[in-house]
Amino acid sequence: MNSWYSCGCVLALTSLVSCSLVEYSPNQTHLPATERGLTTQTLAHLQQMPRAAAGDTVRFVFVGDTQRFYDETEQFVASVNRQRAIDFVFVGGDISDFGLLREFRWVHQRLQQLRVPYLTVVGNHDLVGNGRAIYQSIYGPLNYSFRYGGTKFICLDTNGREYGFGAQVPDVPWLRQQLQDTAGSQRTVVLSHVPPTDEDFDPALVPPYTATLRGCSRLVFHLSGHVHRYTAGQPFHDGVTYLTTYSLAKHRYHIISLWGQRQFRLETVTYGPEA
Amino acid sequence: MGLKRRLLLGLLASIWVALPVQAQTDAQPSAGPFFLTLHFAGGTGLVALGGGYRVAHQRLEPEVLVGYLPAKLAGRAAAVITLKTTYIPFSPRLGQSRWEVSPVAAGGWLSYTTGQQYFLTNNSAGRYRSGYYWWSSAVRVGAFVGPRLTHLGHPSTPRPSRQTLYAELGTNDLYLVSALTNRSLKLPDILTLGGGLKGSW
Repeated sequence: MNSWYSCGCVLALTSLVSCSLVEYSPNQTHLPATERGLTTQTLAHLQQMPRAAAGDTVRFVFVGDTQRFYDETEQFVASVNRQRAIDFVFVGGDISDFGLLREFRWVHQRLQQLRVPYLTVVGNHDLVGNGRAIYQSIYGPLNYSFRYGGTKFICLDTNGREYGFGAQVPDVPWLRQQLQDTAGSQRTVVLSHVPPTDEDFDPALVPPYTATLRGCSRLVFHLSGHVHRYTAGQPFHDGVTYLTTYSLAKHRYHIISLWGQRQFRLETVTYGPEA
Repeated sequence: MGLKRRLLLGLLASIWVALPVQAQTDAQPSAGPFFLTLHFAGGTGLVALGGGYRVAHQRLEPEVLVGYLPAKLAGRAAAVITLKTTYIPFSPRLGQSRWEVSPVAAGGWLSYTTGQQYFLTNNSAGRYRSGYYWWSSAVRVGAFVGPRLTHLGHPSTPRPSRQTLYAELGTNDLYLVSALTNRSLKLPDILTLGGGLKGSW
């Protein structure tokens, strides 16, 4: 074939491969090595960090859905960076809106400007399309736990509707096992995206899920996002406190302090143009 | 919002500019020939193969592409089927040479990605109430602009060959929605690059 053709092939391939605009699919999972497995990277970093607050207190920011609120996420980061004595930031799922790789990267580009590490739990929007594989690629496991400052944090996928219900998600046996494994901690916090009071939580698993939580005397509370607003209460009248937090669109977030056995304090911060 | 407006204006302008330029293609047949395409990236898979037929006095190139998205890039291998049309407003000859340059070609596409994890519509997925998700995760639509370089075969042959090398800067519907609702997302954030080769013999 014509020699210019092969020459053109080489030119085109070279320019495509070397450019960050090159995208094979918005659903692709492929990432630069530094952006893979962020949860594991962050936890390793967190274990090296001294606690920010005095005594046995753990103090962290809890906020909900960042989905397609990129401007607000920048304002959120600026506000959190002005806070003092924060250990880490926890984003309660729906990192993305459409479950596309670039969305996760746009959010990560902003959240990595935080002065403290941030962690996430998977939300229903993060599971749309190829989102599950993308979340696993950029962050890591959908269910994971870690210990920090005498507290065990259990983070799990409760987005039952995304799996067509079917009594598989959330993984209640895994949760039970995690709640029982209390070595090295004095209190426990459970974090998920969809709260068990919501219609997107698998109705067949509400009784075993809430019963499992009820059985843990060290549980401080259960934290969720999804509903984009603050709610607090004991909806199952069993002594277990369930809290939900704001989405980024609400220009509000919570700072949660934990100390003692099950003591906690909740502060609300308003940021952005209305603050 | 300035950048997005510029992108849209650019697309419109390229179509507008095209209308008065007619003369150089008068000698061309109104339709044909068939062409084959080898396309790289641009959201249609790692590599896509396809072809089409030139119409509208050589100004439009509608085509069908079948792309391959390997498991290494997306967790699970998938096919991406794309219906695409490129509009070539003008394609001036470089002097007396056998080369043509089109500084701006523009077009649009609609793609379908295979795989159980993608739903055609919110309702077809069978697990959501109506309107739960407003978009389709399997179907994307997009637009692009880009330059082309074409080599023409010798005119004395009964069916002169032509080969085109092209590049495309584009975006898709969901990236555009993201950018239109966020000042902090800039035009380069939502652009994708693709390119390829087209040939008729």
